[in-house]
Amino acid sequence: MPCIVALIVFGIMGIFSASQRALAKEALDCVFKRVTFRPCNTGFAEKVKGKLIGKVLKRSTFLAKLLNKYYEVFSWIFFILMVGSTIWVLRGGYNFYVYGSCNGLNSSGFCAFDPSGSNNKVTPLGDSETCGTVQKTEKTVTLKNVDLSSFPTKNVGGKDTVVFIGCYACDYSRKAYPDILKLVKNKNANYIFAHYPAKGEVTNSLANAGYCINKDYKEKFWDWNSYLFTTDKNYILDPANLNTMLTKFSFDVQKINECVNSIETKDAVEAEVKELNKTNIYGTPTIFINSKAFVGPKPYRVYRSAINRFIFF
Amino acid sequence: MINTDKIRSDFKIFDGKKVPVYLDSACMSLKPNSVIEAMNGYYYEFPACTNRSPHKLGQKATKKVEEARKNIAKFINANNEKEIIFTRNTTEGINLLVNSFPFEKGDIVLITDKEHNSNLVPWLRLKEKVGIILKIIKGNDDGTFNLENFKKEVLGAKFVSIVHTSNLDGVTNPAKEIIEIAHQNGALVHLDCAQSIAHQKIDVKKLDADFIAFSGHKMMGPTGTGVFYGKQKLLEKLSPFMVGGDTVLSSTYESYEMLEIPEKFEAGLQDYAGIIGLGEAVKYLGKLDYKDIEEHELKLNKYITEELQKFPQIKIIGSADPSLRSGVVNFYIENTDMHKFAIMLDEIAGIAVRSGQHCVHSWFHSKKIYNSLRVSFYVYNTMEEAEVFINSLTKIFKIL
Repeated sequence: MPCIVALIVFGIMGIFSASQRALAKEALDCVFKRVTFRPCNTGFAEKVKGKLIGKVLKRSTFLAKLLNKYYEVFSWIFFILMVGSTIWVLRGGYNFYVYGSCNGLNSSGFCAFDPSGSNNKVTPLGDSETCGTVQKTEKTVTLKNVDLSSFPTKNVGGKDTVVFIGCYACDYSRKAYPDILKLVKNKNANYIFAHYPAKGEVTNSLANAGYCINKDYKEKFWDWNSYLFTTDKNYILDPANLNTMLTKFSFDVQKINECVNSIETKDAVEAEVKELNKTNIYGTPTIFINSKAFVGPKPYRVYRSAINRFIFF
Repeated sequence: MINTDKIRSDFKIFDGKKVPVYLDSACMSLKPNSVIEAMNGYYYEFPACTNRSPHKLGQKATKKVEEARKNIAKFINANNEKEIIFTRNTTEGINLLVNSFPFEKGDIVLITDKEHNSNLVPWLRLKEKVGIILKIIKGNDDGTFNLENFKKEVLGAKFVSIVHTSNLDGVTNPAKEIIEIAHQNGALVHLDCAQSIAHQKIDVKKLDADFIAFSGHKMMGPTGTGVFYGKQKLLEKLSPFMVGGDTVLSSTYESYEMLEIPEKFEAGLQDYAGIIGLGEAVKYLGKLDYKDIEEHELKLNKYITEELQKFPQIKIIGSADPSLRSGVVNFYIENTDMHKFAIMLDEIAGIAVRSGQHCVHSWFHSKKIYNSLRVSFYVYNTMEEAEVFINSLTKIFKIL
């Protein structure tokens, strides 16, 4: 058993170090001998055992005695731990590739590949100032029984469906936006955009404006939407700049303003937010790709994997 | 009496905080600073070719190399320096002999039953190639030489090649008697002095040895150096097996004219720095009294032997009498891989000992012993080191 452990350990280390490679070869020879029911005549197993016990003996005779007596047992334990940790690492690597986090979809625990957790950061809903990681389980986030018919939609009839719930004021939504756009374009996916005014009043007016523009101008909404996601945040959030922005797109400023301030629009937007809340959304951006929820700005490969149905687990 | 403190001050390895407990001198002795300085002197001051170069550097290198040859000739009491051939080690010396001596099919060659591979494999090869008859002289159970067996086997033998002091158990064979008996029977004798040269006085004239071979690395000299000695009249009859540069006086496209001894056996450019270092090692050894060395080694050997005998599972290879085992204590435990012990000793207290079959595989196979652990000491080892070894071994036994 120690030979197998040594073979794996030195085999991995041997990728980087020539001296470890020699040990790996010795371990391989030993494993080969053992599986062919011959004694391991390189003395490799004894060398490893001697080195380990010697190191322990320097510190504690009792522990050395214990290690010597139960060497095979300890070897098995370490072997099992090694196999377990290897599986764990592979799982982490897979998760990171397909979900952007070692710990699984939307899980914000520590991940060595993404130590800052940037792939899971969201803007908490209703918080006007802070953006950051909110740990919840994605299983509660769902599109079930959620009516998205009032939201801007394009590529209707596409094979795949992408729902992007984002907020113009949220850095993480802004980060995810270009990737979602690219995904929709590449896959010609059915795309539904839902603006969630995550930062309260400051984002409400943009939600209302978006509602009105979508109602009256349909296709032009998408240009407006892109503009808001790509223009300086402070500028677009300043109500004083709304009319200038509307003018830029040749919208009927007066008409849009009337619409924005109308009770009907407010009610409609509130109804939309209520509808979005049914998804159990806890932060923006939240992206649904064929109903699977991705919370936080994931790398593009994550979205691509989801849409290509590369996710097996 | 050996002053170990003074001797240790000549070795850089004993400076500093992490000083190893070096108990592997039968494999490789440590080198005094003077040897290393002499070698560096060659590389720093006169790194030139010998003999052929007319410039001052070349002349100085030639002078130093020939000085080393003279020192070595004096050290073993050879008739003259022509009898000293530089080799890479004992193995090369024995190969030189085996391949240069005019052996013929049916010639009987005697060796002992505990030869180092250096003095076994070349003869086995010769047996395959030429068809010599190789006979093994069986020793006594305590590792000592069996003269009666030898007397029987030597009849009709052409050549005797035996180890002087065995690296397996440290037992020294009675070379003088062996040579005398062999000569009486018309056989020539080669002594493998690799192990003995550093621990006892070798006087080739007194021994009347025809050939001897030894290595520099076991006698405080550099690695890759060795000496093959032969009586001049015998060396002149040998036909070198390795020829080329430095072995010929002149050559044409059709023929060549060989140099005299020793040059005709020293093909190619030699390890001049090593040879100069070896000369320096011989000088260093020359300052020591061999009786003191033997006395010092016996003191250490006696202590370790007595302590080891307290462990019933330990079996010492060779004689139980430490006075017969020079600076070697080699032991094993039945059905136990001794590598583990060697590694643990190194881990616990930085003790360097040798485990394995010590290049005497044939003996281990015949006795069905897997391997052993060999402790070997020299003039620089102290009683404190011997105690550290015993204490560490005791510690290991406690956990087994």
